[in-house]
Amino acid sequence: MFFHYIDLSWRSLKRTPLVSALMVMAIAIGIGITMTSLSVYHMMSMDPIPHKSDQLFAVQLNTTDDGNEWWTSDNVPLQLTYKDAMYLHNAETPVRKTASIRTAFTVHMNNQDVKPFLSSVRAAGQDFFTMFDQHFIYGSPWSLAQEKAADAVVVINEETNNKLFGGTNSVGKQIYLDDSIFTVVGVTKQWQIHTKYYDLNNGSFNAPEPIFIPLTLWEPMQLVSRGNTNGWKHENVTTFEGQLQSEMFWVQFWAELPTENDVKQYHDFLFSYLTEQGTKGRYTREKPEFNLQDVNEWMEYNKVVSEDNKILVGLSFMFLAVCLANILGLLLGKFIRRAPEIGVRRALGANKRQIFLQHLVEVSVLGLLGGVIGIGIAQLGLWGVRVTSSQYADLAGMDLTMVLTAPAIAIGACIIAGLYPAWLVCKTQPAIYLKTQ
Amino acid sequence: MLEIKPIFNSLLRSKAGAIMLLIQIAITTAIVSNAAFIAKDRIDFLSQETGYPEDEIFSFTTMTFDKELDIVQKFEETETMLRNIPGVKNASLFNAVPLSGSGSAGGLSLKPATEEGPDVRAAYFLADENALDTLGVNLLEGRNFRPDEVIMSASRDVFPEVTIITQALGLELFPTGDALGKTVYFGVAPLKIIGIAEPMKSAWLKDSRPDNVSIIPFVGASIFQKIIVRTEPEQRTAIMRQIEDLMIQDHNKRVIIGLQGMDEDKRDNNASDILMLRMLITLIIVLVLITGLGIFGLTVFNINKRTKQIGTRRALGARKSAIVRYFLIENAIICVFGLVLGSIAAIFMGQLLLENYSMPALDTFYVLMTALFVFIASLLSVVMPATKAANISPSIATRSI
Repeated sequence: MFFHYIDLSWRSLKRTPLVSALMVMAIAIGIGITMTSLSVYHMMSMDPIPHKSDQLFAVQLNTTDDGNEWWTSDNVPLQLTYKDAMYLHNAETPVRKTASIRTAFTVHMNNQDVKPFLSSVRAAGQDFFTMFDQHFIYGSPWSLAQEKAADAVVVINEETNNKLFGGTNSVGKQIYLDDSIFTVVGVTKQWQIHTKYYDLNNGSFNAPEPIFIPLTLWEPMQLVSRGNTNGWKHENVTTFEGQLQSEMFWVQFWAELPTENDVKQYHDFLFSYLTEQGTKGRYTREKPEFNLQDVNEWMEYNKVVSEDNKILVGLSFMFLAVCLANILGLLLGKFIRRAPEIGVRRALGANKRQIFLQHLVEVSVLGLLGGVIGIGIAQLGLWGVRVTSSQYADLAGMDLTMVLTAPAIAIGACIIAGLYPAWLVCKTQPAIYLKTQ
Repeated sequence: MLEIKPIFNSLLRSKAGAIMLLIQIAITTAIVSNAAFIAKDRIDFLSQETGYPEDEIFSFTTMTFDKELDIVQKFEETETMLRNIPGVKNASLFNAVPLSGSGSAGGLSLKPATEEGPDVRAAYFLADENALDTLGVNLLEGRNFRPDEVIMSASRDVFPEVTIITQALGLELFPTGDALGKTVYFGVAPLKIIGIAEPMKSAWLKDSRPDNVSIIPFVGASIFQKIIVRTEPEQRTAIMRQIEDLMIQDHNKRVIIGLQGMDEDKRDNNASDILMLRMLITLIIVLVLITGLGIFGLTVFNINKRTKQIGTRRALGARKSAIVRYFLIENAIICVFGLVLGSIAAIFMGQLLLENYSMPALDTFYVLMTALFVFIASLLSVVMPATKAANISPSIATRSI
C-alpha cells in the first residue's frame, strides 16, 4: 500500500508542477538556511571528548581580593597564578592533573634542509597526553623521571614529524627549539578536535599545539606565555622570577576526576588549600572561592558558541516556520481542490484512515525532496561561511548526523504542515461529490 | 465603496488559507525587522572610521633565534633598511599592531599606582618618534617625540617620561579638555602629555574603550618583534611580496610570520561580524522572496478556485479593475492583520534579544519600515495573478463546467 501511495504522490506532484515546485523549493530553502546555521552550531557545541568529558575538570581559584571584578559570569579568573598552578601540579593528590601554558619557539634542524618555522608549543605535565586522550604513533610521553629532571625532551605531532623527518620514526632524534637541542621521545597521532577546549584563551577554534615540552623547563628556560596574562593589582614586576611569584593569572590547569568521590575529595583539597592561603594574608576574601567545571560546563562558561550563532539558529528555525506556513497554505488549496477525486475513492471503499495516510505520504515525499535539495543549499551556505572566515574553515561542514538530520527535519516539518489539510480532506463526504458528477 | 465588508465575509468563509498567510506575514515582519536592525548595527561597526590609512599599512612579526645578537642594535639597522626600500614611507618597531586583536592595555591614572586615584583604561603602543607617521595619524595639538626622549632598552628599568594620547583619552582623563602638558601615571611611572593625536583605534575594535590610545616612546626590541610599515598604497602588495627575503637577507636567523595588510587584518579579526551580516542579509532576501512566492501561489490558487465566480462577476458587468481591486483588497486585509501581529511579535522579540543577549534595543523605526516594505512586497506579489484573473472571459461563467 505504501508504494502505491508513493506512486499516487508522484502523480499528484506532476499534476500541479508549479505549486509542487514552489512547495519543494520552500522546504528546501528553509532546510538549507536552517541546516547552515545548525551545522555550524553543532560543530561549535559538539562534545570534543564524549567518553570522558564529565571526568575532566578545569580548575579555577579566586585569589583576588573580595569585590574585585572579572569578566566571567561569577567574577572568578579563568586562569591560575604560577605558584598556585605549580602547587596543585606537584601536590600528592591521587589523580591525573596538569598545569600548562602556551608558548612559542622557532623550530629548526640546524641545517639547510628545513626552513626554520615558528610553532606554538605547549609546556605541560606528562599526564596531559593520557588525560586528553592523545594517541602515539611512535614512542610515548616523557617519563616522570625525565619530567622531574627537566630534561630537554619533546613530543611532536604527526604533521611536524612529516615536515621534519618525512614521517619516519623520529624517537631519539634531535630537533632545535630556538637554540636549544631537544630529543624526540614521542610522535602523536594528529589531534582531531574542532574546539581547543583545554585552552580557550586565544580563540576557541584554534588548532592544538603541534609540539609539547615538559612543564618543568618553564623556570630554567624562562618560558614566555603566548597566551593571556592578566593582572588585577599593581605589582612592580621587572624580572622573570618576579612574574613567577606575582599574582598574575596566566596558567591553565586541568584535573581528571573519574568518580564522584574523586571530585568531592579534590573539592575538599582545593577548599583547604585556599583557606590556608587566605589565612596567610595573600588576599582579602571572606570565604574561599573556586570552580571545578567539566568540559561541557567549561565550554558553556567560556561562551564557546557565540551569541550570534545562537541568534542565527533561532532566526533560522523561525524562517523554517514561515516556510511551513507557506506550504500549509498551498497544501490546503491543493488538497481541497482534490475533494471530488477523494469523494470517488471514498465511495469505492477507501476509509478515512487510508485517505489520511495517503496524504501524509504525499507530504513526506515533498519533505524528502525538499530535504535532499536542502542539503545541497546548505552545502552552498557552508561554502559561503568558509569563504567569509578562515576561522570557520573546519567548523562549517556537515557531519553524518547533520546530513541525516536535514531530511528528518524536512519530513517532520512537512508532516506537521500536512496534518491539517490531510485531516480536512479525509473528512470529505462522498455523497456530495458523487451527486455533481 | 471599497467592498471591504463582502471581501472580509468571504475571507471568513475560507479561513485556513488566510490565516496561514497572516502567520507567514507576521513571522516575516518579526524576523526581518530584527534581522535588519542587527545587520545595520554590524554595518555601522564594520564601516567605522579607524583613523588609519588601512590600505597603506602592513605589519609582520619577526622571531629572532640568535642569542649572540645585540637585538636593539640590529633592529635599528633593520628599521633603516626598511625605510630605504623604494615606496616605503616609514617603518617602526611596535609592541602591538592596531586593529590586530592582540595588544596591551592598562590603566592610566592621575596618581601613581601606590596611591588610590582615578584610573582610565587605555591601550598603549610602545614605539619611537616615527610611530605617528608610520600609522598615518596627525597631531591635533602639541608636538611629536624628540629622538632623545625615546628609550631603547631590553628591560623596563628606564622608562620614558612623555606620551602622546588621543583626544578621547585626554577628555576622559581631563574632562575640561586641557590634557596637554598634564602628567599621568603608567603604574608608578609619570608621563607628561606632550601631544594630542587625531582619533585612532586601539588593537581591539570591541574593547570597552576602543578610542583610548596612548603612545609611549619606548623601543624594547625583543626576540618576538612586531614591525609596522607604511607604503605608497599602490606599491604595498609588491613590497609585501619581497619583505621576507629582505628581512632574512638582513639577518638570517629570523622567521617572519603574520605578514598582513592592515585592512586584511581588520577583516580577519571581524570575520564573525562579516559572516553574521552576510547570513542576515541572505536570510532577509530569501525570506521576503519566500513570503512573496507564498502569496503569489495562494492567490493563483484562489483565482483558480474562483474562476467561475470571477467569470460570473465579469458577465454581470464588473470591470477588470474591479476584479484586480478585489484581490488587492483581500490581500491588504490579511496583510494589515499580519503586520499588526508581526509588529507586536517583532517588538517582543527585540525585547527578548535585549534581555538575553548583548544586542542593542530594537528601534521601532525598523519595525515600521519593515511593515511598509512587506506590505508593498505582498501587494506586488498579488498584482500579477490578479491581472491574470481579470482577463478571465465572462463566457467561462456560462459554460456548464
